[in-house]
Amino acid sequence: MLKGFVNILVKEIKELVRDPKILLGMIIVPLIMFPVLGTLMSYSIQSAREQAEKATIVVVNNDRGNWSEFFTEYLNSSMKVSVINNTNLDSDTVLKLLSDYNTTQLIEIPNGFSANITEYKNGNTKINATVNFYGVFSGGGIFQEVGSAIIDNLVNNVNREIAPNAVYTFKSTIIKGEIQKNVDPSTLSTLMLSQAIAMPITIMVLLTYSMSIAATSVAMEKEEKTLETLLTLPMDRFAILMGKLSGSILVAAVGAVAYMVGFNYYMGSFTSSIGATLDLVSLGLVPSVFGYLLLGISLFVTLLSALALAVIMSAFSEDVRGAQSLVGNITPIIIIPALVLMYVDVNALPLAIKILMYALPFSHPIIAAKAVTMGDYLTVIFGIVYVAIFTLVIMYAASRLFATEKILTAKLKFRWLRKRTKKPHEEELQ
Amino acid sequence: MSLAVEAVDVVKVFGEIRALDGLSFSVKLGEIFGLIGPNGAGKTTALRIASTLLLPTSGTVKIFDLDVVHKAAEIRKVIAYLPEEAGAYRNLSGWEYLEFMARFNSKNKSEIHEMVKEAAHISGLGERLKDKAKTYSKGMKRRLLVARALMTKPKLAILDEPGSGLDVLHAYHVREIIKRYVKEQGVTVLLSSHNMLEVEYLCDQVALLNKGEVVAKGEPQELKEKFESVNLEEVFAKVVGLA
Repeated sequence: MLKGFVNILVKEIKELVRDPKILLGMIIVPLIMFPVLGTLMSYSIQSAREQAEKATIVVVNNDRGNWSEFFTEYLNSSMKVSVINNTNLDSDTVLKLLSDYNTTQLIEIPNGFSANITEYKNGNTKINATVNFYGVFSGGGIFQEVGSAIIDNLVNNVNREIAPNAVYTFKSTIIKGEIQKNVDPSTLSTLMLSQAIAMPITIMVLLTYSMSIAATSVAMEKEEKTLETLLTLPMDRFAILMGKLSGSILVAAVGAVAYMVGFNYYMGSFTSSIGATLDLVSLGLVPSVFGYLLLGISLFVTLLSALALAVIMSAFSEDVRGAQSLVGNITPIIIIPALVLMYVDVNALPLAIKILMYALPFSHPIIAAKAVTMGDYLTVIFGIVYVAIFTLVIMYAASRLFATEKILTAKLKFRWLRKRTKKPHEEELQ
Repeated sequence: MSLAVEAVDVVKVFGEIRALDGLSFSVKLGEIFGLIGPNGAGKTTALRIASTLLLPTSGTVKIFDLDVVHKAAEIRKVIAYLPEEAGAYRNLSGWEYLEFMARFNSKNKSEIHEMVKEAAHISGLGERLKDKAKTYSKGMKRRLLVARALMTKPKLAILDEPGSGLDVLHAYHVREIIKRYVKEQGVTVLLSSHNMLEVEYLCDQVALLNKGEVVAKGEPQELKEKFESVNLEEVFAKVVGLA
């Protein structure tokens, strides 16, 4: 054994365990965060799946033959089906039916379906029986994929009953009220889902990194006592706060611009590489200039709120290490929405979790990124206003803090962590 | 107005700690006044109240007849404060740091230049002022900061442990700066130190602090005679009953 190793180890453990900030940041936060995250995720995914399975599917039966009846009954045994007979389907009728039945999925069994299956079963395998599937695309996420996957599964089962590859599904996706023929909602969802993963990760990194910079900047002033000097100079104390925030805003603005450039490139790379099968530009799934502008503003106000929060939190620490630990403690409220929204669309979440996501300011740029793609500008504007109000409240609190001696004396107390019985010799010393 | 600082019955409480407990002293114009005492005696708290950083829990502190609670902004125009063990901005050069600080006191470019030249002279750092502050030794940093505090020719310089942590040569240099500057510019200085020998050399008047209150005050020579001691350390030990 190395000489002195045990002694050093015991000292290290004592020092680390007795530091409440480390105890909170390294042990308690992860202990709480991951079970909360796990529960949220499984609850959300389960809920989205149940919703998809309970969803109604409209079946337009224009065939009325034996096999179409068989197909409809088969669907009916697995999900809620509303059958309409003999309706000529054009784009407007599809949209109207989906709206009337308040659903996102429709299957048309065209005329000749049963005849084609009979032909197929008689050995003419060049003839397929086709069903036309229409799915509404609402911004990616598990909900959409589940809906499309269930149909695929059912058609496969039908084929197993009748004959292999007898029924073929021709899929179309309805995007922003337009029917896009031969676009599989499932493929589109998978494509958008991969983008939905990149955005939260980038936002998460950008937010935590900027908060760390802002917290270090204030804590460094405290640690080096340059803040004390500034506070005794003939100047407006609010100028110190505004100067700090403006500096951080510049960093945030550069960060937001860099993010937008990267995001644009990312979207472009998908469009060009998968252009042969799915062209996101022609499908209208690339944000407009106004959409990009709103997304930039959303990201900017969120960064600003994070920076103001970091400034105010670092005022409660005495040095850079303390500030980093304190700011690190709010990482869960950045990570949790990012991870949840990475996999599940906000609209597919159960109401309570949905409210929680909207209440957390750091989830708004993630929600905005999906919303601008779908042209839902109102949600983005609501988010911007909400986060701006949150930021103003934080900045007001920070300005109050800078105006008083609390900027020098404020400390977070962890008395509940320090409660222990005094030893006899400690009482004597007091 | 014959007093630069007047503190009357000042109490400062931080949670359960009573940092100042009825502190009273006064500093005359053009005087170097030292608050001396051990660590935790309340010296820094007293200086922070005088420099408008902290508010007294009770009692009054006036700087040139201006109350620190109600006239803080006016007081900040006539004082310069040097915190204990303060640093400079690491990535600014010494010269840039001095310019940055001078801009808070004047908008006139030639006045700013004069202040910085004055600080360069006071600090004696010469060409090293072009280097970033992070390359300075502790002694050089302290000389830079003392020069910063004096370059604006404040009516009152409040210096917390000006010679703290310095080696003999740098401590000597800093003491010489302060003494010479007071003589040349008529600046009043309120300083703190736990180095009683330093205080004996520098100060016209001293107040000995213990547990947040003044336990003795007067000229260093007068105190030594009164307590029949060879230096202020011995005076302090006798006053608090350690000797």
